[in-house]
Amino acid sequence: MSEHPLTLLLEFDDQVRRDQHQAPAFLHRRDRKFALEADASDTGPRQWLTHLHRLSGRPPGQKDKRLARWHRITFGFISAGALLGILAMLGLLFYDGSGRINMTVFLAFVLLQLGLACATTVQAFIGWRPWGWLVDRYTRRSGEIASVLTRLHPQLLARAAHGGGVLFALTGLATLLLLVVVQDLAFGWSTTLDTGAQTYHHWVQTLARPWQALWPAAVPDASLVESTRFFRAGTPQPIDAARWGDWWPFVAMTWISYVLIPRLLLVGLAQIHLKLRARRLLKLHPGLTALRYRMETPILETGSGEDATHQVAELETQGTLQPYPDSPVIIRWAGAGDPVLPDDFAATAERHLLSAGGSATLGDDRRTIQQARLVLANTPEPSAILLTRAWEPPTAELEDFLTLARDQWPEGTLISLVPLATDSHCRPSQTQFAQWLRFAERQADPRLQVSIHELPAIANRAVEGQQ
Amino acid sequence: MTVAPVFAVVGHPNKGKSSVVATLSQNDAIAIALEPGTTRHSQAYPLRVDGEVLYTLVDTPGFQRPRQVLEWLEAHSLSASDRAETVAAFVHQHRDDPRFHDECELLTPLTEGAGVIYVVDGSVPYSAENESEMTILRWTGQPSLALINSIGPDDYSEAWHSALGQFFQVVRKFNAVSAPFNQHLSLLKAFGQLEPNWEGVLDKAVLHLSAQRAQRKEQAARLIATALEDMMGWQEQRTLTAGQLSGTSRDTLAADLRQRWYRHQRQREQSLRLGIEQLYQHHRIQRQEAELTWHSEHDLFSDSSRQTWGVSKAYLATAGFGAGALGGVGIDAVTLGTSLGTGALVGGLLGAAGSYFYGDRLALPVLRIGALRNGLQTARFGPVQDSQFGYVVLGRAVDHWWHVSHRNHAGQDLLDLEPTDRHWLEDLEPEYRHEIQRALTRCRKQRTLSSDHRHRLSVAVEAALDTYGQWRQSRG
Repeated sequence: MSEHPLTLLLEFDDQVRRDQHQAPAFLHRRDRKFALEADASDTGPRQWLTHLHRLSGRPPGQKDKRLARWHRITFGFISAGALLGILAMLGLLFYDGSGRINMTVFLAFVLLQLGLACATTVQAFIGWRPWGWLVDRYTRRSGEIASVLTRLHPQLLARAAHGGGVLFALTGLATLLLLVVVQDLAFGWSTTLDTGAQTYHHWVQTLARPWQALWPAAVPDASLVESTRFFRAGTPQPIDAARWGDWWPFVAMTWISYVLIPRLLLVGLAQIHLKLRARRLLKLHPGLTALRYRMETPILETGSGEDATHQVAELETQGTLQPYPDSPVIIRWAGAGDPVLPDDFAATAERHLLSAGGSATLGDDRRTIQQARLVLANTPEPSAILLTRAWEPPTAELEDFLTLARDQWPEGTLISLVPLATDSHCRPSQTQFAQWLRFAERQADPRLQVSIHELPAIANRAVEGQQ
Repeated sequence: MTVAPVFAVVGHPNKGKSSVVATLSQNDAIAIALEPGTTRHSQAYPLRVDGEVLYTLVDTPGFQRPRQVLEWLEAHSLSASDRAETVAAFVHQHRDDPRFHDECELLTPLTEGAGVIYVVDGSVPYSAENESEMTILRWTGQPSLALINSIGPDDYSEAWHSALGQFFQVVRKFNAVSAPFNQHLSLLKAFGQLEPNWEGVLDKAVLHLSAQRAQRKEQAARLIATALEDMMGWQEQRTLTAGQLSGTSRDTLAADLRQRWYRHQRQREQSLRLGIEQLYQHHRIQRQEAELTWHSEHDLFSDSSRQTWGVSKAYLATAGFGAGALGGVGIDAVTLGTSLGTGALVGGLLGAAGSYFYGDRLALPVLRIGALRNGLQTARFGPVQDSQFGYVVLGRAVDHWWHVSHRNHAGQDLLDLEPTDRHWLEDLEPEYRHEIQRALTRCRKQRTLSSDHRHRLSVAVEAALDTYGQWRQSRG
């Protein structure tokens, strides 16, 4: 019989276990890609596993070791069943000529077998594992204890037990027929109970109802029942010895109908139950829910995988802050010193305050350079201070301005860049100074320096206290 | 078919353009440094769904010579109708001019139809020098939005808002480092408002991003559950010959195995950290990990970790009650309910009592030496016989997850663990408490969890993540 649902369940469970160590993003990408490439109807677990096995080059049809173990268990049950069937029938039909084979014992044994078969099936259906500890000990070493197969143990064991039962019934039947051929068996019936032949006949007829129409000869008549009763003690009754053997068709049909056929039906039922249960476990498997989710959920790439081509700037600087000279020209770049210009840079009769950059036009910048040139031309040691906003990064516009100024102003003019903080009472941070020092370094101009506006001592202390 | 919108993130140098792109594209590889010129080339960051691009963010260099560009544009334009064309002509003419490299890089996507995302720093005063940049952007005629990204502690956003409102269709405040995830989504929706054709596709992107976030939380819960299972059930083993065993004192052997056991647990915890960080596309935290204060000062086995993340005796008792009761239900089932629930009650009381009396003791693993077989003996250390260990691992993992999941990709600050005054797990639903306790018990008894058990533990851990999130939110 095919074990596909079971094999599928186990392979799926194994794959889910392997996937637990994979990155979720990888799993999502893999399964979503499979879902997009496959037809909508071909995205079941079977197709998914086939796809994975194909990609990993795994050869098909590999036997599962855990199932092979259960095959061995089933084989053990079958072998034991076959042997016990022979032994049980030899025991039941033991006849040494001194007595008769009691049909009552035989019928009781048949009903016991039927009861055991039904109990096995009921146990499988309610999932009770009274022998679970034994199986667990056997399967623990193989790691099967953690697999989904554990949840199928009741069904697997029921199948194995019914398989053994079938062989038990078959070998028992074969032994019966063999003994009928090679021995002259004497059947009779006896019971301690106060039962008359008529009642016994009624019981027998009831039991024989299933084959009454098929094989009437296998239904004992009233005279046979009457004539084959025997008692353990007392006066022997006149018995027609020729009729002792007439019970065998009934015995054979009873065995077939109440031992063999129920076992055959129940082994089939166990197989169907196992398949249904495996399908159900697969359907309810948490991994299947996660797989479907991965298949149905689009892969979202937010751009995090894109390589950034940015060049990380060199943040180190060798430059140091220099004191600024008493310059006759002060230029406010891009509105530096707004709204409060420090007193040190206020315009005086000797000090010209000019503006450039920011909202000024390029023409305004050129005019500022010209005005400064006129002042600096008459200064023995020309120098200019360029106030900047410390927090604004120096841009190429400032670079252009300095290049033009250097070109226009007297040679050797010392230019001091003085970054100012947003609050005129505070010093700019070290990070802000650093970007201006690096800017000055990049210009490679020995007469360009970065200076710090020294705050009044009291304010300075206050600021340092805050820091 | 609608063409996927492109948004060029432009602005003055060093105003957080790359930070905005890093956060929205969840890419912490984007270099962010306090230095102009960090970004020298435009770089596109598309958002793809199953390979289909929904939108693209373009990180661009900052304006270097905006007044010169504007002067050129004004000199070559006759009327307002030719402005966009003039901008394109500027790019065409100066493509090979190194002086205008940055301007050409940032204007190219705009001449190709990209929307404008103009980024300013709201923590510094408004400067009129930005007006030439804004004018150039207006000349492109593209839909535009301004973002006030506050880099520093000061706030000048009101002044910026007034000025930007005169140049841009939409003005939004967005802190690239600290903006919560719902603000990311809200910003994307705002992008959609710039152009009617873009609205649908950006709404779709928002839906996908929301789903991705939920999915990541679920995956994070699974990672944490797996780590919990591994760490609770870990056993250190060493096989020795009889001679080796006799030459080694029991204390030395125990100390050696203990050290190996500790090392393994720390490594497993670190691999969980990396797993969570990678899940949320954070690849740079690892580089800083050695510097992380809470990683070095609050070790997995330190007293402070235990005090911070361990659960109370009362908590353990109630969780133990649940676990015991579950066992007791089994008794009821066997007796077909004839015990009328007594089994559950007795089981619950036993579980609770055990948890209460042993709740504040650290039951460290002990050394066990197996029987001599084939001349070899196996010494075993572990697994830990203390559920508190599981709660410490869980608490630290959940806290780390919370920080990582709430961390924007522009963020470069160090992770810091704040001590807690009350254990958040007390807010967790009882059924999830019991599920966690039951799983911890199974693991420490070295009983492997089935797929179903694992799933239930993951669900319980996910509930713990939610609970922690709510608890953090309630703390403000």
